Amino acid sequence: MSYEQVTVQSNSQTLKPTVTDRLTMGYVYPHAPLEIIMAHGLTPTLVRARPGIAGAFEASLQTFACSYTRNLFSQRANDQMPASSALLFPGNTCDSLLNVGDIWRVRFPDDIIFRLTYPAANQGEAAVHYLADELRSLSQSIEAAFGRPFSEEEFRDAAGLTRQFRSAAQFLYAARVVSPQVLRYSKLAALIHTFLLSPDQKSANEITNASTQVQRALARSRLLDSAKKIQEQLIKRHLTPAALPHGAKSPRIAIAGGMIDPGAIVALFNAAGIPEDALVMDLFSFGFKTVFTPPCEVGRDPFDSVARSILASPLEPTQEGLGVRLAFLKDVVTNLAVDGLIVCEQSFCDPDEFEAPSLEAEASKSGVAVMRLPIDPELSDRERLGVRLQSFLETISPRSGR
Amino acid sequence: MGQEERHTEEKVYRQLRANSLLQEIMLRYMMEGQAASEQGKLAWVTSGFPVEIPVTMGVNVSYPEQYGAIIGSQKVGPEICGFAEELGYSQELCSYARSSIGSVRYPEKSPLDGLPKPQALLACNNICGTVLRWYDAVSQMTGAPVFLFDTPPTEGDQPSHHREYVRQSVLRLIDFLSRTFHTSFSEERLRKVGELSGEAIDLWTRSLKACRNRPSPLNCADRFLAMAPIVALRGTEPAIEFYQALLEEVQERVSQGLGAIRDERIRLLWDDIPPWFTIFRFFNGLAARGVVFPADTYTHAWSGSLAGADLLDSVVSVYSNVYLNKGLEAKVDKMCELIKEYSLDGFIMFSVRSCKRYSLGQLVSKELVMERTGVPGVVIEGDMVDSRLFNDAQIQTRLDALLEMFL
Repeated sequence: MSYEQVTVQSNSQTLKPTVTDRLTMGYVYPHAPLEIIMAHGLTPTLVRARPGIAGAFEASLQTFACSYTRNLFSQRANDQMPASSALLFPGNTCDSLLNVGDIWRVRFPDDIIFRLTYPAANQGEAAVHYLADELRSLSQSIEAAFGRPFSEEEFRDAAGLTRQFRSAAQFLYAARVVSPQVLRYSKLAALIHTFLLSPDQKSANEITNASTQVQRALARSRLLDSAKKIQEQLIKRHLTPAALPHGAKSPRIAIAGGMIDPGAIVALFNAAGIPEDALVMDLFSFGFKTVFTPPCEVGRDPFDSVARSILASPLEPTQEGLGVRLAFLKDVVTNLAVDGLIVCEQSFCDPDEFEAPSLEAEASKSGVAVMRLPIDPELSDRERLGVRLQSFLETISPRSGR
Repeated sequence: MGQEERHTEEKVYRQLRANSLLQEIMLRYMMEGQAASEQGKLAWVTSGFPVEIPVTMGVNVSYPEQYGAIIGSQKVGPEICGFAEELGYSQELCSYARSSIGSVRYPEKSPLDGLPKPQALLACNNICGTVLRWYDAVSQMTGAPVFLFDTPPTEGDQPSHHREYVRQSVLRLIDFLSRTFHTSFSEERLRKVGELSGEAIDLWTRSLKACRNRPSPLNCADRFLAMAPIVALRGTEPAIEFYQALLEEVQERVSQGLGAIRDERIRLLWDDIPPWFTIFRFFNGLAARGVVFPADTYTHAWSGSLAGADLLDSVVSVYSNVYLNKGLEAKVDKMCELIKEYSLDGFIMFSVRSCKRYSLGQLVSKELVMERTGVPGVVIEGDMVDSRLFNDAQIQTRLDALLEMFL
């Protein structure tokens, strides 16, 4: 289907295509194959859960669907979803997202819906081959729907772009570990979101420029080497005690959770009057986990390459490997001088809510103060959450020996 | 007629004689599980796990979901789930998982002193994605390693790369069991276990299909109890023994024109897991109003047999294509098929708050099934184990509204 046909088919009941010359594909799971989508000339764009959306899911979804999927469904039902020519749903990541994809097809039959089914088990090469074939199948479906074949050249460009973005964002994550004041967390979250919403040269350059400025600032304060070392260690997911500047501010807070929007955390911190400098690290799916996904290699089979990249992304609670995730968390809180951990849980999210007690226990064993924060995209109960955040920060003290 | 017989005759439903054999077999199974645990040969498995593989390799199995049903039916769900909530598990999570985690925490306060301690946890995600995280939590508490048998959900025909991936899971499972339990795999033995499993499934299926008769020889609660061996004892002789006895009794009822309930007037389909804590009260209450459930989507889920030249390929087919591993369309097709095949007047969908895989989509399915079959249906909401999430008055109001349509 051409762009013109999609435009003609669009009406108030269908997703609205963008008014640019590029087709867009919305995605709802963080590990979407951006490079494959872009190789078909489509722009992948993150579909975010958003506050202020009136509930419009009740006729289609029960209240125990996860709050993230309820919010997305309401956006669509209210015709408040940002423009998109198609949507990509994940399969085999969680039951809510799987079922909502099916329900969406029934309720909005004119929407163009794709599904990419991920492997959940750590099954080595078998998982790579499986996902590579899933990606091939997705590619064929995109071509059939939009009449745009896979372009090797666009794939290479896309791979270069995501590599540029991730490299810059990874450095900024590491830089904030060393010196949280060097870049506001809200700025980092915004730069990442901008790229995920519209991965193009402009958004990649924007985060690259920010990275360059931060590098200069850290060089002036002789912290650049420390930041680069932490970046390398985070990529390898093996940390040693970080060299932090003398007199580093405390408390130092890390924040964990699955499908939580970093922007929502910024809003809560700001509303509670808590300085963003306290937040030194997030382990979110739309933050750390996306950013530290290794780049796909060009020059080999693109589907195999993207599959390897996605499967090497860190620590998704929708996959097998709780032990590895807990070991990494312990590594983070002990080596990055974390004083407190906030474990966010999207309401009715099975992966988040199952993992939270284990994360809490692991961090507590390491002597780190922990608070669990149930949250939904509407930020309902914002005042109470703010008070809890304030109390938590007041009660934790810097870790001894630092 | 003696006093006892008269008392039985007054009931709105007929008890199955086979239930006493069922109790014997399940008691023996639990004792065997305890002995296996003591010998270091016990694995916990999910209900959709390819259990023929561990059974072939001499590994005994216990079913936490079935234990969840026991907790529910003994009406201690809120208490046992509460133990898990004390550990930090949200009340929004699956109550099978919560009750299982709670009973691992406090076995001495749980029915039957909890399930015997496992040496491995075998999860297959063909029934839901929750099982992996649930077993991860139990692993943290018991130290037993988790094996995930990954069966990506299918839409329509299963593509070849799905089949190959799941086949690799089978090989990985054999390797895992060999290492964990110091045992070995024999295809010849799997064929024998597969035959036993197939025979039990065939007998069970024949009992289910007998419910196409009017009156139906079995009601919902009968099937939910009688399904225990097909879940827990597939691939063993006792399962066959029980399903032979059950089938004989079912056929006897059919030949004598005896129904599961005294006065069958309305035939409905049941969708989803039952509320275990009120299973008799609920279904017998409806039986008193002439409502029987000749079919349900849950007990019909165990249907495939391991057979053919390539047994591992058969494992892939059977366990990838279970009801809950398919899309919404397949579920709607199945419901429509059952309504037609069993001459049903309507349907009840139990929206189980614990079970997102089974329940999310029911609001849409209900409309589609009504549209395709022309029969009315209703969605009621509650839970299978946690009675705190079951509002009886609200549910009765909805049921009344449905039943009025048949009067």
